[in-house]
Amino acid sequence: MAERERDIQTCCISDTSCQFGLQSVWGTGNQLFLFPGKNPLLSNERRPATGKNEQIREVQWDIDLHHPVLRKMVNDSHNIFVNLQRQATQLTGAAFHTQILNSSRHYRATQKAYLKDLDDMIGSTRDEEQRQQYMEHLKLLNISELIWSLCEILFIESPVGGLVVPKLLDWLKLHFITAGRLFDDLMKEEQPESKTTYWDTIFRLVLQGQIEKACRLLSLHSARQTDDFQTLINLLKRMPQLSNVYKGSSVAEFDMKWRHWRDECQRNYEEQKFSINPNLETVVRILCGEDAVFSEVKDCCDPWYHMLISKALYQDPTVKACDLHYYIQGCQDAYRSTTRLGELDSILLSALESDVYQVIKDSRTVFSNGWFVAHLTDLLHHCGQLDSHRLQFGSDLQREFLLLEYAGSLMSHHSLWIVGVSYLDHCAEFGRKYLELYLDHIPLDSEKKANKILKICEDRNMTEQAKSICKVMGMRCIRNKRLGAALTWFLRSKDVGFATVLAEKYLLEYSESGEFTNLDLIDYLGPSMLLSNRLTFLGKYREFHKLYSEGEYHAAGDLLLALLQARLAPKQFWITLLIDALPLLEKTELIFSSQQTRELMKCLEELTTEYKLGKKRDGLGFTEARKDQLDVLKLALSRNLPKAILQEGTVNLL
Amino acid sequence: MADSIQSFVKFVSRKISKIKWQPSQKQTLECSDTFVTGSWDDEKNKICLWHLGMQESMERDEMDDALEPALKCEADHNGDVTGLEYVGSDVIVASSSTGSVALYKHHTSSQTMGIQYKWQCLHSHGNHLCPCTCLAVRDKTIVTAGEDGKMVVLSAEQKSPQRIIENADSSTINGLVFLRHTEVISVNSSGQLKTYDLRSSSDAPAQTLSVSGELTSLHSVDRHPGQPHIVATGSGDGVLGIWDLRQEKSPVSLLEAHNGPVWEVKFHKTNSDHLFTCSEDGAVWHWDSSLVGASHMVQTQITGTGAGSGGANFSVNPSFQFGGSETLNKWLSPDNSKMEINSLIDDNILPVNSVDIESQTLLCGTDSESIITIRLPSMR
Repeated sequence: MAERERDIQTCCISDTSCQFGLQSVWGTGNQLFLFPGKNPLLSNERRPATGKNEQIREVQWDIDLHHPVLRKMVNDSHNIFVNLQRQATQLTGAAFHTQILNSSRHYRATQKAYLKDLDDMIGSTRDEEQRQQYMEHLKLLNISELIWSLCEILFIESPVGGLVVPKLLDWLKLHFITAGRLFDDLMKEEQPESKTTYWDTIFRLVLQGQIEKACRLLSLHSARQTDDFQTLINLLKRMPQLSNVYKGSSVAEFDMKWRHWRDECQRNYEEQKFSINPNLETVVRILCGEDAVFSEVKDCCDPWYHMLISKALYQDPTVKACDLHYYIQGCQDAYRSTTRLGELDSILLSALESDVYQVIKDSRTVFSNGWFVAHLTDLLHHCGQLDSHRLQFGSDLQREFLLLEYAGSLMSHHSLWIVGVSYLDHCAEFGRKYLELYLDHIPLDSEKKANKILKICEDRNMTEQAKSICKVMGMRCIRNKRLGAALTWFLRSKDVGFATVLAEKYLLEYSESGEFTNLDLIDYLGPSMLLSNRLTFLGKYREFHKLYSEGEYHAAGDLLLALLQARLAPKQFWITLLIDALPLLEKTELIFSSQQTRELMKCLEELTTEYKLGKKRDGLGFTEARKDQLDVLKLALSRNLPKAILQEGTVNLL
Repeated sequence: MADSIQSFVKFVSRKISKIKWQPSQKQTLECSDTFVTGSWDDEKNKICLWHLGMQESMERDEMDDALEPALKCEADHNGDVTGLEYVGSDVIVASSSTGSVALYKHHTSSQTMGIQYKWQCLHSHGNHLCPCTCLAVRDKTIVTAGEDGKMVVLSAEQKSPQRIIENADSSTINGLVFLRHTEVISVNSSGQLKTYDLRSSSDAPAQTLSVSGELTSLHSVDRHPGQPHIVATGSGDGVLGIWDLRQEKSPVSLLEAHNGPVWEVKFHKTNSDHLFTCSEDGAVWHWDSSLVGASHMVQTQITGTGAGSGGANFSVNPSFQFGGSETLNKWLSPDNSKMEINSLIDDNILPVNSVDIESQTLLCGTDSESIITIRLPSMR
């Protein structure tokens, strides 16, 4: 959350090849790639060759969200965010509004919890630099909480009958704790009036509407029994309480009471009842809401927005949120000479002027990490505070743009990317496209991580991305000569092409070495082998070997023939298959029937003709050894045929 | 259930891949109050040791505090922590995605932790290293497996590996657990469960069992504490498998559970009728089989245990009753419909990578950079 004007981070690149200029390309999120050279002005203008090794440099900058304490906040608020989006689909009307308010309070509680954490860390760290860093975070987090809570009152909470002052007073009490602290200190004193802070504290309490405490302090004064003190205490005690409006009495009723009470204050003041004690007179002038007195006590209600609320309290306690801006100018003028208006002031100003867009716009530059604006805008969006007609792109896109920005900074983090995914899920317009691009860039360090990213893709029906992840992992396995593992990846993505390639690799290995590898996988393929014909063939062929070695010759023979007939086998593998038939033919027991033998002969014929054609065409043919084997096979087949006919005939005759 | 489930979420600024209770001391009956976590997917990963307020004799209103873990000490870890186990009471072994395995010693006097020994390059493809995926420990023997399909047997007291099973598996071994002293069970990404006898001279598995049907990967495995032939596995498609190593070639039952890979399954060490699973879908489920086969009355028959995401379907605690044989172990009962299943953390969104249970306190390590401690009501 670096404040824009203060922190301009610099990073020196000492590389002589950059003397002619430096170019840059954006990476993902907080990342920039730099390389030497300058933008050619003309298309034919070439970069001067430096003759040196030019390097591409990756520049990354940390944002405070990556700091351990704030990372906790990222994760904590992520839950709130997702829950709110869920509620948005289920609830409507008042129930949903209550939920929005709850979420807002929850976000603030999160900020407060981590403020406390930071505070503890400032207390425990010894490293001065780190302490400074923590202080900086603390300051910004404080400001963000301050703005958030004001926005909550003005835009989300929308109090009963449009009354804002009671809420604003609570806000003052929470964020301007000096009055309360001074009060506590004074209460411990034996003679509080002797302290220089005595009257200041009373002013502060009155200005914050903490009447009860002010009365208690006044009653400790040694002159408390005098008439003027008694009158004032009496007036204070009878001040109509705004909170009663919530308890059932109407605004009009309150207004009437208030006017009566203020007339009484005014009368007492005009009757010069407090002229002996100027401090008492100041208090009563505040009660009367006299314009001039606020400038006199401006040190007690610094800064301007404090004064604004104090003024509103005594001048127009039932003011509506939209009318607060009438007070702004006067209050700011009171402080103009002493302080320059900062970024915080302008955000609060916009908030009090009900200019939601300006609040968002300014906050975005102050809190550069995107956390604040993304979440606040989301809340305001759900509240219906963002009217689409006021923005060129519509309110949805305003929210979405900020969410995308926040998600982007998360996606560029080593570990927090997984949180970013959820935020992208809730960007209806561009979220998916962004996610697809980001997912492509997450390094797949381990199978486990690949599995996790795969799950993200599968949940969102991103078949292309899922397939590409499996392909990357599978190819990696192939490179590492882990064909079994590779197959599991391709089976997972149902990648027919690569499954076929692998099956062929296995078959090649077999025909080269005469032995199968990865048997533990192939033997258990089950129905998955049906993915690709080649894989089915591999599985079945392996089954044939198993049957053969188990002595199930008939079944083995049937399977072998079936493989040939179904034409699952690649042609170049037919020879191997036919030769595999040889031992079966040579058994004393008859394995192949006459019909089957004829089929085998047909296959052999087909193969030899094809090879003959092939030989004529491109000179390829069988090796001598193969020829011999085929001759033996031919012989065996022709021997088997009469044997089979004979046996079948015998059976028939019998 | 008489008392409710209480939980505490502690954010720790690192994604947790493994979480493990320190084994309770055999001499004392007291439960352990220390556990260790390992992180993953960060620039700097860490092994952290945590302290949890005493498990026993806790006042109810103090419960919330008692469930908040406090950091005792931490040590840097190179690469993702892929496996984490205790070897004895103050030595921890951790496997890494860089292919190495390291022993960490917890110095109780100074409350610090440091590397005692590191086996480098245990797993590799030729020259370049590959992740070690899991490990299992029994006494001083450590077995690790990697994406290279290798299995390595180490002794905590010996620098060189005792044995390397070069081609243990064609696919990746994702989980290991000891079956007996010299036998380990492995599960792999092609849906197989194998047992290896470490004494045997052959590298081939002693037994291979497999999930039939479509190829699915198995990610986690645990063995029943009392009857080691009963094994539970968690698969890539969210199914909990129960296996009987004595007879079957395929699982006894497959229970459709989570909506994503089941990263860990864990039997309760002393109440073995209870089992816990955690998953990529962000849920942690408590499987209670104590009522299975308890009654012979058949009340309702509902076939299948299909569950939707997040365990929503089980929030009403289905209490179906089936007849069953008392002699058969509850997990092997053919009718598992009387199983009670509870989803423990409903509001969690991101994946839960690891769970461990000791007595009544369940620990979960998640990808939302948090440790969730859950206090369960007493178990039957």
